[in-house]
Amino acid sequence: MKPPVDNTRTYAILTDTTLCTGCETCVQACKQTYHLDRDRAWRWKRRIDDLSSTRFTTIIRRPGGHFVRHQCRHCLEPACASACIVGALQKTDIGPVIYDEKRCMGCRYCMIACPYGIPRYSWEKQVPLVRKCVLCYDRIRNGGQPACTQACPYHATIFGTRAEMLAEARRRFGQNPGKYFTRPGKTEPEIFGEHEVAGTSVLYISDIDLNQFLPWRPNLGDQPLPALTWAALSKVPPVVFGVAALMSGVYWIIGRRMHLQAEAAETAEQNQADSLEEPHA
Amino acid sequence: MHRVIGKTTLERVKTLLWAITGVWTVVTVARFAHGIGATSGLTDVAPWGFWIAFDVMAGVALAAGGFVIAAAVYIFGLTKYHGMARPAILTALLGYIAVAVGLLYDLGIPWHIWHPMIFPQHHSVLFEVAMCVMLYLTVLSLEFTPVVLEHPLFHRPLFEKLLHLIKKATIPIVITGIVLSTLHQSSLGSLFLIQPFRVHPLWYSPLLYALFFVSAVALGLMMVTLEALVSAWLFGHRVRTDLLAGLGRVASFVLSFYVLLRVGDLWHRGILPGAMDGSWQAGLFLLELAFSAVIPAVLLAFRRVRNSIPGLATCSLMVVFGIIAYRFDICIIAFTRPEGMTYWPTWTELAVSVGIVSGALLVFIFFNENLRIVDHGEHGEEVTAPSPPPVEQARLGPVLRRHSLVFIVAAALAIGFLPEDAIFGPQPRRTPAQPARNVEAMATPAPPPVMRTFLVSSLAGNVPAAERPKPVQLKVIDGNRDWRFVPFTHEDHIAALSGRESCRLCHHQNLAFDQNSACYRCHRDMYETTDTFDHVLHVDKLAGSDGCTVCHPADVARRSRDTALACWQCHGDMVVAGSIVPTVERKLVGIAPGYVDAMHGLCVRCHRDLAERQPEKYAHFDRCDVCHREFQDTDHRRMAPYVPMPPGHVKAASMSGLAPVSPPPPLLRETGEEAGKGGAP
Repeated sequence: MKPPVDNTRTYAILTDTTLCTGCETCVQACKQTYHLDRDRAWRWKRRIDDLSSTRFTTIIRRPGGHFVRHQCRHCLEPACASACIVGALQKTDIGPVIYDEKRCMGCRYCMIACPYGIPRYSWEKQVPLVRKCVLCYDRIRNGGQPACTQACPYHATIFGTRAEMLAEARRRFGQNPGKYFTRPGKTEPEIFGEHEVAGTSVLYISDIDLNQFLPWRPNLGDQPLPALTWAALSKVPPVVFGVAALMSGVYWIIGRRMHLQAEAAETAEQNQADSLEEPHA
Repeated sequence: MHRVIGKTTLERVKTLLWAITGVWTVVTVARFAHGIGATSGLTDVAPWGFWIAFDVMAGVALAAGGFVIAAAVYIFGLTKYHGMARPAILTALLGYIAVAVGLLYDLGIPWHIWHPMIFPQHHSVLFEVAMCVMLYLTVLSLEFTPVVLEHPLFHRPLFEKLLHLIKKATIPIVITGIVLSTLHQSSLGSLFLIQPFRVHPLWYSPLLYALFFVSAVALGLMMVTLEALVSAWLFGHRVRTDLLAGLGRVASFVLSFYVLLRVGDLWHRGILPGAMDGSWQAGLFLLELAFSAVIPAVLLAFRRVRNSIPGLATCSLMVVFGIIAYRFDICIIAFTRPEGMTYWPTWTELAVSVGIVSGALLVFIFFNENLRIVDHGEHGEEVTAPSPPPVEQARLGPVLRRHSLVFIVAAALAIGFLPEDAIFGPQPRRTPAQPARNVEAMATPAPPPVMRTFLVSSLAGNVPAAERPKPVQLKVIDGNRDWRFVPFTHEDHIAALSGRESCRLCHHQNLAFDQNSACYRCHRDMYETTDTFDHVLHVDKLAGSDGCTVCHPADVARRSRDTALACWQCHGDMVVAGSIVPTVERKLVGIAPGYVDAMHGLCVRCHRDLAERQPEKYAHFDRCDVCHREFQDTDHRRMAPYVPMPPGHVKAASMSGLAPVSPPPPLLRETGEEAGKGGAP
């Protein structure tokens, strides 16, 4: 359906959770860049530091002192963008999935579709909008890097082309054998997001299994999600013509049969009338 | 056809409907004034709730009767059902209008509802649904226009020409309607294809579109039946059981097909055993399938059942509620959400949906009273003109008055019961701040470059002798008790800020008649600004309203917080002289920022200054993780109350550096709350 993604031209973020100290400098940088309001304890939030309309990235704290930066994964084949009814969410060639609030009508199908449960809604507003990380599209388009990766004091989250990031992850695997999480039955440690749902532009390497809590369900599989709906949608033209033809056919056949019946009845009546007339003759 | 006003069932139903519409109007104002968040129970993990499940999913399915009957009458030549076509088409039309109205509530930006037409995104199932619904609404309007044009009001040549045109185009219009219905009835199911992770496996199926379509056809047939029964009851028509039995027979086949399709698909994909695993989802699945399809399909297969009014009523109610439940299950109930995040619709949410239905019903009744909806022209008794208005002109006054009264009373009651958020706009929840706690801890005597190492333990057994720590008093600051605390040593700060003289830098204000007020006493909420001034108490203390001028100078134009005296102007002992926190600015009087902001405001500035002025000594001192450090593998619950651990469990927790010593569960002894024990001057 789509040409394969050219990893050397599309950008990605690589987050190494083993280096993260949970200092939230990235969160502050993001908040400053997008002039986000302070976090408040709204009804629809579990924790104050959940992803929200005022927090596009956050740190998930896992038992054992593990810190995992949470943000939009910028899937290579995003379910949200394929679900969006007006194309307000779009995947750009250089990586980010961006949002156009002028198009959005607020149906929230993107929030249903996302396999990571990322998009947030500004429920507190009278005119709410979908809110999520946009991978600093404006900055990287002009040759910069996202605010979060720039701010990270420990280089736990870095930015580059997707090919570079994959190579860097493998380099770290080579440098620190045994440090990173390897799925049972696999030989190489896992790069989270390399193949998942056909790949994401935000990659992780970690010493714990991130799939236990980042996606909606542990095993998302490597299949692109938009293909699931496209399987049904691509059948629309045949259904249109098929049903129309079927209905016209049925109408014609039944109409014809009724017409013939009526004619037969008429002739029968005529014959009867004729036979009745005969004795008189 | 004389009626005693207020005595007939119809009148009672109408009164009830007007009452509901009153409530609906109030909720509508709240919804559009304060947004979805204020009036619904929706959250980020339940972005679709009752409005989508009922107004859209169930609403569209309930209106399926229109295309099913239209197909039967016009395409399959079953002309005996001609009398049912009009009510079915009117129901469908009203149903789809109700869907559109319901969407206006659910959409975040309802005035962008037409955007799919100018920004088409043909990979979206929702786009297909939207276009089909839009076109089908047009088709339904065309199908219904002849009924309106029959009214004596439109007996003009122009309208008669139009009527003639539409009647000529009946078959293409009906076929278009069938195509569009097939598409969007099935596509409502396809909407969930993209989410195999959220919809429970017993409901998720690659055949969702087929299941939705077949179930909609069955529901359409049964809804037409139910409608015929109800309108016979309301308007006193004769029930044509012979016709309804025919519908029941078809419905029995369709329902059987639906069950076969659904169960067969689950069996084919090997999920069927999951329906027997005893989970609540499995129970719900069995219950739903039995009530929506299996039992009615079996019952309707018996001629005796489908020829009796109670039998038809039972079966149609089961199917109608069962298939609606199917939509609800997929949309809400069997939709997985993270643990602890449940979705319950608010009553305002329900009121919108019920209100829309009531409004539609009132329009339906109006049309029934004024247009020839139940068409007995061909197969029933002759009805020549639109039935006469049921209520005579002279009697309309009292009816209007009563309906208006009921409407207003219901609206007033609704205002009284509106949740706070719906009246004032969404308010964040309160997170009360708790006092900081004093604990005994151990600290290394020689601090590393920036951070002092705290060994939060009673016996630091596994620490190298060279780093043998000394006991210190540690303040643990975690106002919301989330155990992600900041360790704070008074000693270190006193030393760094030049002795006991420095207390005043941080301690800035006390409550009246108090010498030592803890931070949380004024900064009462973790994240929200709180009011620390008790106006009622002051009015009481200052001789009632005679005392206003004590705080509000007599000559000010407007008495407000901005023009009042500051607290310290009367309570001189409150303010600590030389404090770095500006407490005497008038605008800050009586308002305390949230606990988090207050703590940050107090600490961060000094830390930044130090990092800038002495970068060698205080490198990274402005970083968050200097104070916000995490324990590893700690059971923070041990902090309070102190429970002596058996010797084998004694371990030390290091709070220094970026890679803390492990394994370190701390043993902390809580020695007291901050209140009354802090180091205030």
